[in-house]
Amino acid sequence: MDMPEPVHHDPRLAVQIAGIRFNNPVIGASGTFGYGLEFAELINLNKLGGFVTKGLSARPLPGNPPPRIVETHGGMLNAIGLQNIGARAFIEEKLPLLRGYDTRVIANVFGYSDDEYIEAITILNDGEGIAAYELNISCPNVKEGGIVIGNSPAAAARLTARAKRATARPLIVKLSPNVTDVGQIGRAIVEAGADCLSLINTIVGMAVDVNTRRPRLSYGTGGLSGPAIRPIAVRMVHDVARIVDVPLIGIGGIASATDALEFIIAGATAIQIGTANYYDPTVTMKVIDGLSAYCRGQTIDIPSLTGSIKAE
Amino acid sequence: MIETIAMAESNRELVPGYRLLTLNSKEDIDVLPGQFAMLKTRVSFEPLLRRALAVYRVYNSRRISFLYQVLGRGTEALSQVRPGGEVEALLPLGNSWPIEQSNGRNAIVVAGGIGSASVLTLCEELKRARVDTQVFFGAATERDAVGCGLDDFRALGVPLTLTTDDGSLGEKGFVTMPLEHRLRKTGGTGTVIYACGPWAMMRRVADTAAQFDVQCLVSLEAPMGCGFGVCVGCVVAVKTDGPLAYGAYKRVCTDGSIFAAETIRWEVNAMAH
Repeated sequence: MDMPEPVHHDPRLAVQIAGIRFNNPVIGASGTFGYGLEFAELINLNKLGGFVTKGLSARPLPGNPPPRIVETHGGMLNAIGLQNIGARAFIEEKLPLLRGYDTRVIANVFGYSDDEYIEAITILNDGEGIAAYELNISCPNVKEGGIVIGNSPAAAARLTARAKRATARPLIVKLSPNVTDVGQIGRAIVEAGADCLSLINTIVGMAVDVNTRRPRLSYGTGGLSGPAIRPIAVRMVHDVARIVDVPLIGIGGIASATDALEFIIAGATAIQIGTANYYDPTVTMKVIDGLSAYCRGQTIDIPSLTGSIKAE
Repeated sequence: MIETIAMAESNRELVPGYRLLTLNSKEDIDVLPGQFAMLKTRVSFEPLLRRALAVYRVYNSRRISFLYQVLGRGTEALSQVRPGGEVEALLPLGNSWPIEQSNGRNAIVVAGGIGSASVLTLCEELKRARVDTQVFFGAATERDAVGCGLDDFRALGVPLTLTTDDGSLGEKGFVTMPLEHRLRKTGGTGTVIYACGPWAMMRRVADTAAQFDVQCLVSLEAPMGCGFGVCVGCVVAVKTDGPLAYGAYKRVCTDGSIFAAETIRWEVNAMAH
């Protein structure tokens, strides 16, 4: 494999999350970035702050039957169902190749039960080169685990505490927006020991084929992502930032540096880019350059911008 | 695979609803027969996602064309591209038609509707390799046949059997009828079938191929989020040890788009098409 040239990182973009330094706050979001290597031909992975793997489970999962995606206005619905190669295959087949890159690899972890989450983490603990875990307790496209845990402060806190005990690595917990009070759940997870919260996962939605009168996704419902959900995500980051004192990673429809800055100013330490990777595979590079230009123009750095929103 | 911004040289309407988009790239592109591209008009959130279109013709390494039917929001937006307009493109994508399977054998190419876009370069390669080739070309009407590139296929000088659903040109009926007739007559020994078209057509071609014990390859279509393997949205159910086994679903974009017909679980995927 051709290794891209090392890059000069703009020091104004560097951020810290749970003691881990990221060269910049731009992170590829889980489920939209494969296992990272798929992007090696398209972008300079050494320039990227980091990426989060496709959700990894203790054993490989087949995923949901097609159709799995449908485009909506300004977004898309997906119900992939966490098809993945499994934690063991990830550390054996993907991680050795990823160690050749200067980017932070975050392993997204999924299970159908608390035990399965812990089993996946235990397997991944053997893998060298994983910077942190992101606990996926917010996937809306599986009937057990995922959102079922993420919707209950007690269940989310219980799993977070167990996951924290299972690893020495930093623990990020990914929040579901499909709740009445995201702040309440975020607080419970932080009290249980989470080092960082990432938000938001997709918003549960549905599209109907009016000719067949069936849902357009085989699963029935799906997770809405893309620019359409961004204002909801910015609001949730803003709300949660006022409640918890751990770093936040903002996610939801980010497609430009301006979008990323909205989240950072609202309270995010870093951001993840998801759906935009599909229709603009080099978007992460453009956002990094855009953030650099903004910081230069405003003579400010990203950490100083985090949570700098002015009172209404 | 390259990510580029190509310039539209032309975007000509062949007949209402069908267009030929010719793009010029600043970079060399090495496209194999049956490969596709993800395309979208520049700087637009409507539609959001790029659209997967088969490469129809390769004129040289920097000039290629796409034959497409205007069917929805994505192709409608593409139809508005003017000469000189910019098109975001990721290409070439997917595997390619295995021409070598035809060595020492004869080939049948089945093109149904706009599926024709995926097989013109295949026919050119088969002709170049001097493979005895027969094309079965089906469309809804005479106008659709012209829109699906009938004149280009005829210009190849390869034997071609034409059907239209309404009988306005060629034989009346589905393209699978003369195919079945031909296989009944010849038995299909030493034949390879390459097919691209509507799901129901490919399923019928696959059934027919199995009946006559003929090797059959199909190029599948699915709504795609990315086109390069990361969204896992475009899957097709394939035969495995069990429906819940890992590997029960393959990505049309990177595991295909061309598959051996007998590996596809046609009945499972029918809902998606």
